[in-house]
Amino acid sequence: MSPATIIFYIISAFILGTGVLAVTTRKIFRASIWLLFSLIGIAALYFWMQLEFLAAVQIIVYVGGIVVLIIFSIFLTIKSGEEMPKPILIRSIFSALAVLFGTGFVVRLISLYTFKPISTTAFNLSVNQIGTQMLDTKDFGYLLPFELISILLLAAMIGCIVIALKSNDKEATTFQNSIQ
Amino acid sequence: MFIVDYVKDVYGAMKSLLVGMNRTGYYFTHHKEIITEEYPDNRETLILPERFRGEVVMAHDENNEHACTGCSACELACPNGTIKIINKFDISPEGKKKKAIDTFVYHLELCTMCGLCVEACPTAAINMANTFEHSVFNRGQLTKRLNKPDSKLKAGVE
Amino acid sequence: MFSLETLTKLVQDWLNKTFPPTWALLIEFVIVGILAIALFAALGLVLVIMERKVAAWIQIRLGPNRVGPLGLLQSTADTIKLIMKEGLTPDGADKFLFNLAPFIVMIVSMLILAPIGFAKGFHIWDINIGVLYVSAISSVSVIGILIAGWASNNKYSLLGAMRSGAQMVSYELSVGLSVLSIIVLTGSLNINDIVLSQQNGWWLFKAHIPAIISFVIFIIAITAETNRAPFDLSEAESELTAGFHTEYSGMKFALFFLSEYINIFIVCAIGATLFLGGWMPFHIGNWESFNHIMDYIPSFFWFFGKTFFMIFLIMWFRWTFPRLRVDQLLNLEWKYLLPISMVNLIVMTLVAIKGWHF
Repeated sequence: MSPATIIFYIISAFILGTGVLAVTTRKIFRASIWLLFSLIGIAALYFWMQLEFLAAVQIIVYVGGIVVLIIFSIFLTIKSGEEMPKPILIRSIFSALAVLFGTGFVVRLISLYTFKPISTTAFNLSVNQIGTQMLDTKDFGYLLPFELISILLLAAMIGCIVIALKSNDKEATTFQNSIQ
Repeated sequence: MFIVDYVKDVYGAMKSLLVGMNRTGYYFTHHKEIITEEYPDNRETLILPERFRGEVVMAHDENNEHACTGCSACELACPNGTIKIINKFDISPEGKKKKAIDTFVYHLELCTMCGLCVEACPTAAINMANTFEHSVFNRGQLTKRLNKPDSKLKAGVE
Repeated sequence: MFSLETLTKLVQDWLNKTFPPTWALLIEFVIVGILAIALFAALGLVLVIMERKVAAWIQIRLGPNRVGPLGLLQSTADTIKLIMKEGLTPDGADKFLFNLAPFIVMIVSMLILAPIGFAKGFHIWDINIGVLYVSAISSVSVIGILIAGWASNNKYSLLGAMRSGAQMVSYELSVGLSVLSIIVLTGSLNINDIVLSQQNGWWLFKAHIPAIISFVIFIIAITAETNRAPFDLSEAESELTAGFHTEYSGMKFALFFLSEYINIFIVCAIGATLFLGGWMPFHIGNWESFNHIMDYIPSFFWFFGKTFFMIFLIMWFRWTFPRLRVDQLLNLEWKYLLPISMVNLIVMTLVAIKGWHF
């Protein structure tokens, strides 16, 4: 085995191990931390494949963005430090079965598909290429999805602002009255 | 208009920050104006202000005479019982009994250096000294006797 | 002329001749690791004593002056004291996460060190997404702080961690936008390319007012991102005792303390690279003779000189301005820095497209 393969197996074991810990731990905050490590492991896998841009984006979006959001929402819940009750037996049995079937399904699919190496040369993607591809209107350009996602995000942002806006005093009082 | 106010806000903020940084930058570059006293090294040259209140002392002149009549005005004035005056009765040459001071007990460990005793003293017998290095190894050493042994009341002080 | 590039080449050639390539690579990893740790230790000692001296001089004091000549060994003595102290773990804490947090913060600081160019041809990893890598990895350090705050099982720690999280997440935006405005000019994320693009002058001077505005925004935002006064709400002594590291003691506290200073060094190094030309000597346009004279000063000194100038600026802020309130902090970011840096980015793009810079 070459050193690169060894590193690949170490990273994979790290991702799977932390992933299993994330679903089996009974403390909710620890679960989020294990999830964080699992996502970092995936970024490490991208680095291993020399896809630095993708790895950096993985860390920014998932680790710096989503996990921080999850941790914040855990902080704001009351029982963040306590252990969850043990799941009932029947539920664990069914989830184990689901996992088994899922694994079997994936293994079957992989064994049916024959992987052919596309090219032996490592692809060296520069950020410039990614940028031009992203805003390209010709073949294999991603301008339309890019713009669609931009509009989606804009809608989400405007929605946030509208929700966060201070409502008029009159409306607020009627709202409060309706609650009471 | 909104945008004008906004720009004015930013401009004013930047200006006030720069004024502050100018001040601290002046201090940083003018290192000679240091106000720190390098205390144990400058013991010889250290000059304390005259009104610095270190501890209560009783002045004695060259004949070992003081001005304390033992009236205990200071004892009454002290807010936390620092001073204890023990009196005795001298027999004067005419055979008259006369009140005089035996021991002026001063508890430095209780003193807050408020100076009320000095103000209360009718004969200006006690005053505040400049000394301030009071650390000792034993608390007993802080209880002091202010009048020197065999000292007498100055003549003419009533 | 002496340069660090020849030295690294010598070492690499010798290693490749004497060992098989895999072993040579591993030995290089070890050497780089040892050098990085040595740099960390040295920086920790130097920056702490520098901070105390700068603070003292600004406040018309003398500062530490007992240990060693001019008190320069004070931070060494403090470090020895911290090593000797017991690292307590509170009873109610989540013990595993509590002990993990300082290491996460430290490892993140170490990882960010990789793409920085210390001198001509002297960097750990010449990665082609240098700046993006730095901003990606630095977003992980907030998680170390959040873990520390939560695992301490202490109200002050939790509050400090929450504040720190909100602060870092929001100020990352303005750091990113002001960095982008320089990336627009260079057209590359690689740190080496960014430095080389400043061969005829630094971007701070070449790109007129927009560059100065983005420099100011950058330096304000990095002060906030490294949790330093006037933005040190996460460890505000008067409100939260020590914020997220209230419960930490001994070496675990020292790791937090050290990583704070290392983070300052790294963000200042990035700022110096983007705006002040990194290891590039001070060049003015086409004045060949002047540029040649400047080239005689080794690039190593240029890099550290600029970085320490930036660090000094940040220390100057710390000892001049009073601490902000939480609402003022978020107002500053969302109402002032973010809109200004967005408009500035558009102006900068215009400058770059039209070629109005030098």
